[in-house]
Amino acid sequence: MFIFKNAWISITRNKGRNILIGAIILVIACACTITLAINNTASDLIDSYSNSYQKELTLSFDRKQMMKDFDTKGEEGREQAKEKFENIASYSVDDVTTFAENDHIESYYYTYSFSLNGNSIEKAEIETESQPGSFGGRPNGKGQNKNSLDFTLNGYSSIESMSEFINGTYTMNEITDNAWDIAFDGNYVFINKELADYNELNLNDKITLEDESGNTYEFEIIGIFEDNEEEDVMMSMFSNSANTIITNANALVSIDNSNDSIKGSINSTFIIDDYENAESIQSDFYEKGLDETYVVQTNQEIAEAGVTSVKNVKSFATTFLIITLLIGGVVLFILNMINIRERKYEIGVFRTIGISKLKLTTQFASELLVVALIALIIGCCFGATMSKSVSNSLLSSEIENSITSRNEMQNNFGGMKERPDGNSENRGGNMPDFNKMSGTPNIQAYDRVDAVVNVTVILELLVIGLSLVFVSSLASMISIQRFSPLTILKERS
Amino acid sequence: MAKKTKENKLSKITEIKDNIILSIQNASYQYSDATSDEYAIKNINYDFEKGKIYAIRGRSGSGKTTLLSLISGLERCSKGTIIFDGKDLKDINLDTYRNSQIGIVFQSYNLLPYMTASENIILSMDASGLKIENKKQKAIELMESVGLKSSYADRKVLRLSGGEQQRVAIARSLSYNPKMIVADEPTGNLDKQTESEILDIFKKLAHEEGKCVIIVTHSPNVCEIVDEIYDLKKVK
Repeated sequence: MFIFKNAWISITRNKGRNILIGAIILVIACACTITLAINNTASDLIDSYSNSYQKELTLSFDRKQMMKDFDTKGEEGREQAKEKFENIASYSVDDVTTFAENDHIESYYYTYSFSLNGNSIEKAEIETESQPGSFGGRPNGKGQNKNSLDFTLNGYSSIESMSEFINGTYTMNEITDNAWDIAFDGNYVFINKELADYNELNLNDKITLEDESGNTYEFEIIGIFEDNEEEDVMMSMFSNSANTIITNANALVSIDNSNDSIKGSINSTFIIDDYENAESIQSDFYEKGLDETYVVQTNQEIAEAGVTSVKNVKSFATTFLIITLLIGGVVLFILNMINIRERKYEIGVFRTIGISKLKLTTQFASELLVVALIALIIGCCFGATMSKSVSNSLLSSEIENSITSRNEMQNNFGGMKERPDGNSENRGGNMPDFNKMSGTPNIQAYDRVDAVVNVTVILELLVIGLSLVFVSSLASMISIQRFSPLTILKERS
Repeated sequence: MAKKTKENKLSKITEIKDNIILSIQNASYQYSDATSDEYAIKNINYDFEKGKIYAIRGRSGSGKTTLLSLISGLERCSKGTIIFDGKDLKDINLDTYRNSQIGIVFQSYNLLPYMTASENIILSMDASGLKIENKKQKAIELMESVGLKSSYADRKVLRLSGGEQQRVAIARSLSYNPKMIVADEPTGNLDKQTESEILDIFKKLAHEEGKCVIIVTHSPNVCEIVDEIYDLKKVK
């Protein structure tokens, strides 16, 4: 007990020294509170943003590897690579089911597609002279009709796979009462309103399509949808999806199985538990027979794109925290070394009258602990009041940098021009969306990080503070162990 | 083998006479940076009895302060043994030994300057772990016993004269009622009058209170009042 009494006497006696130590710890505590608050809030923000996305894994060609083959193997090599490309073993619906038998895959869905010609209906199209292959002509629609057949049929395995309806690109205009009861089994289709109007079709009408061999297939219309996407389809009055017919995967697979001339393509999506498992899932797919020209891709980049600036601020905060702690720790250690040298005589007297090294170390550490705790509390309060404004100012400067960088890129493509109303518009017509380009700054989903000092931050700060006290107390611990009381007192004499 | 060594040690200890409080047997001390045959003191054999004052005398460099640091448990001897009250110092916790069995008085007083006279004495009581009800009162009594006014109790030691500080140092060394007092040149910084008063205190402690007082000195005045003198010679 007298050790703590002595510690208190010493604190009140050496006010100047303790105020200096306290001020250093206060600055460290303040910086730590701000950075910890930014870190924690940014982590929560990133997590919640990432969690708002399903963790998706899709299969795609390893184009990079293929291009490498083209580049490196000469004429003959290119021919081989071309042949290889044409003979890539596609995977089937059964394969998808097999692939999905993996502990890290929570669910899956797929889209099955191929094209057919119209039999009872006509393709929604008004031909113009400039259309075929001309610049500014009508771009091909989604699920491009590879064989120049009239209609693209997209068969969805489940409602989760109907991404265009989920993201609002398509909205259902008319629908039969039982449409969703029968939509995924049987020859039922949803058609574009433009196609319906063009062919004067209504709900419950039947349409007939035919393949290249002349085989016909009958479907019943159970829904009519609209495409909401604003597209610049210059030489056409129809949208890209006008000739897209939506049905279920089962219907298309059964047509495909019954006819060798139809070559459907499958597009599968797997919902996984964690992005970190993507590689192990890919290995599992290869083991289960997936051609190695396919690679797995996740939507992680897209899922995290909205918080790029928040991530940068978090990373800056972490670096700043480490540097502050390192410098703070060293400064405190040196200050304590000086302090101990100044108090050498005191240590000698204490040791001479029989106060043990342990008790003496406890006394010196308690002195620092009390000063540190007071400084930590004050620093935490200061940090709490400043954390919001500092974090938002850091974030806004980070966003500004991103915008500047994007604008620079836009200027490289011709830039923006000022309009008389003060707004700006693209020069050179339809400029690409830079936010969708990989490697470019993305749209910032969050423009505020309201860094909050909560219990976690306070506990982390306490751990950091105590660690700092321990590190700087090492100076006194080492000195007390090394000092011989007799030598100290002799020096004094 | 180990048992035999222990028996030997016990037999040695029993040989010590009842009134001997401290026995130094073949004690040698070597500094850590010394060469193998370089000793500060070598093969010292002294006995100290209760109720007597001893002077350890010698020229500079003869090892007086080294011997005192061994006696007071500030250092351990490199060879030989020091037996205090029947126990080998090697087997005793030296912190406990210093804070309860032996009082040390230095030439330069070694008081804590930021504390008052009574606080210095109370600190020593605290270090000994003794349960004393009114420590301040006890400190004042001790101060009075060494000739200091009670009004000095709350005075910072730096405001006291050399003689007064030395009295506080003696009072501090008596705070836990040790069996032995060790003093290193206790009157070296004092005038003759004060020296004589301080020596009277030591005489009283030895002859009236039965404590063993060992004074390291080269002052002839001190040597006059002691019961026995040990001359320490420089190790060749």
